Amino acid sequence: MIFKKLSNAMIISKLQDNYELQANLFSFVIHFGLFIFMLVSIQWQMKDVYYSEIELWDAMPMQIKSQPVANKKKSADLKKSIPKPIEKQKRLKINEEAEIKLKKRKEKKAKIKKIQKQALKQEKLEQLQKKLLEQEKLEQLQKKLLEQEKLEGIQKKILEQDKLDKLKESILDQEIKKEARIAIEGDQEVFAGSNTGELDKFKAMIQQKIYQNVNKQLCGGDLVELEFEIQLMPTGELLGEPKLIQSSKIESCDQALERAILQSQPLPVPKDVKLFSRLKKLKLMFQPNAYTE
Amino acid sequence: MKIIQNYIYRFIFLLTLITSSFSSNSIEVIEILGGKASQIPIAITPFNEEIKNIDLEKMHKVIANDLERSGLFTSLDTSGISTIPDSDMLINFSNWSALQAQFLVVGKIITIQNKLTTRWSLIDIYKEKTVLSMEFSGSKKQYRAIAHNISDLVYKKLTGSPGVFHTRITFVKKKSEKIYGLYVSDYDGFNQRAIVNSSQPIISPRWSPDGKKIAYVSFEKKKPVIYVQDLTTGKRVLVANFKGNNSAPAWSPDSKKLAIVLTYSANSQIYIINSDGSGIKQLMRTRSINTEPAWSPDGKEIFFSSDRGGNPQIYKVNVEGVSDVNRVTFEGKGNLSPSLSPDGKLLLFLTQDNGKFRVAVQNLSTNQVLKLTKGPHDESPIFSPNGHMILFTYKDYGKTTKIGTVSVNGLKVTPLRVGSEAILESSWGPITNN
Repeated sequence: MIFKKLSNAMIISKLQDNYELQANLFSFVIHFGLFIFMLVSIQWQMKDVYYSEIELWDAMPMQIKSQPVANKKKSADLKKSIPKPIEKQKRLKINEEAEIKLKKRKEKKAKIKKIQKQALKQEKLEQLQKKLLEQEKLEQLQKKLLEQEKLEGIQKKILEQDKLDKLKESILDQEIKKEARIAIEGDQEVFAGSNTGELDKFKAMIQQKIYQNVNKQLCGGDLVELEFEIQLMPTGELLGEPKLIQSSKIESCDQALERAILQSQPLPVPKDVKLFSRLKKLKLMFQPNAYTE
Repeated sequence: MKIIQNYIYRFIFLLTLITSSFSSNSIEVIEILGGKASQIPIAITPFNEEIKNIDLEKMHKVIANDLERSGLFTSLDTSGISTIPDSDMLINFSNWSALQAQFLVVGKIITIQNKLTTRWSLIDIYKEKTVLSMEFSGSKKQYRAIAHNISDLVYKKLTGSPGVFHTRITFVKKKSEKIYGLYVSDYDGFNQRAIVNSSQPIISPRWSPDGKKIAYVSFEKKKPVIYVQDLTTGKRVLVANFKGNNSAPAWSPDSKKLAIVLTYSANSQIYIINSDGSGIKQLMRTRSINTEPAWSPDGKEIFFSSDRGGNPQIYKVNVEGVSDVNRVTFEGKGNLSPSLSPDGKLLLFLTQDNGKFRVAVQNLSTNQVLKLTKGPHDESPIFSPNGHMILFTYKDYGKTTKIGTVSVNGLKVTPLRVGSEAILESSWGPITNN
């Protein structure tokens, strides 16, 4: 039929003159037909082999439960499709029951295995999920670490900037100091005035330190007033001696308070140039017999 | 143009700087109210002596004791200083400032035969300069007197008040049950000399403000009578021997009169009498007891103790006017034995405090009272002539009465070394120019 169809085709008609091609096609068709025949003939041979195997099983009924038989699933399955001889029906029935049992067991086992497999799969899945979660956590941690590192880096940068700023400020301060000295000697008060809290703090510290050394016993019993002017060095030491502006008219009292000032050296002074400029010249007013408690 | 603008801005900036500097030329003011009752730390070094008198207390120790007794000085221990200077040359100021000394006294004593020559200096450690530098000469017997003179000068220089370390005191000593002696000594109890010995008790000795006489009460006539004894001649005058008891003599500031207490008419009343015993007149007449008179320094008022309020308190009355009597003390169960400070600002008295008698001072302008001693049996308090110390007698329970000084700030109580006998009463002599 194929040949006819091919011969009817236009190609064959075209190739009628070409004998070589005709011969080749002919040989191909023959070979194809032989191949098909071969395939069909092998199927028949396979059935004969299965018969012989079934007979062997009947000879050993007690070994039905044995593992090797149970493992031969394909051969057992094939038995159903094979026609059985009438003489061996009883044996076959027994075998069938056994086979059913086996099947059931196998099914059970398979189910168990399936369940086990499913359980294993679930476990695996869970493990995988866990792993994934852990991985996620790790990733998050890594991210955090990275962020921290970044923050630290930023902080360092800020600190460095601060240092730089301070340096700049100190340089600027020094420059201002120099400029002020050049511009108007001794009049740095202009730059101050913003930080009165700090100023008051240092004034209170100076007051407290001098108070500790005031010996009022040398000032009689009356309310006397004294006034001194002092000039301070940046170290807190006095520049020159205290200048008595208003005397108590009691020499010992005047001297005692002068000693109190001298004894209080070094006086607490701020490091800040602007603040110090406000405190470098001070007026000290004393009332040694004033009732303070 | 930009350059010109820049210069203009600079000029304006400078101008503002200058103007603000002039306008804000105010100096910061710090007010220091009050002070502490602290002591001046002074280092008194051992004087360099060629011939050392083992028996005598060293001159530097006499000076240190004098100054410390006033309560205004604290003497520093100089034993840690390796090289002690004997003059104001080559002073290592850092050594002494490390010792916290504010002042330094150095000196040298040269002895030639019986004559002492003392060269000494007072040095200000803070200012690193010599404040005083002097030379005193005298006999060996005047060793302590020279020391007291140095103390007086240091005291005067540093406190502004005259020193009282050369002054004398008088006190009554009970030698035995039947021998009483009225003694005169240096202010610190040294160089005692008895001016009266009696088999009967002697009480209430009072030194006249001119320093020439001592009035006292003697029981030698079997009752209390008042004598005034001249210290130079030793002669004595019986000033008050009226009916009843004659007691509690108090010199007027001019040393011409005495306020005395007589029980002539009834109970104790105050009279005024001339120091020779003439011209007696009663100060006031009341039903209550008025006793222990004390003159104010201006001589216009007399302070006295009286029970007119129920318990003994101190009152004052005008010497001439006599009409108004004012109560002065109000604190405590009882206050007695008044006397006034040389400047008249402080009243000194004994205050009864929980069964104890303690020495106290009251500021007469503020009425603040400061109790100076602990008691329990303090008696006869009297001011030193500069008002910085108080002489008083004291006694612990069951022990003999002793004599001591307390500084008017209450910081220093010092016993006087006058022997183991009981001291009955005492008085402080005036500052004399010797």
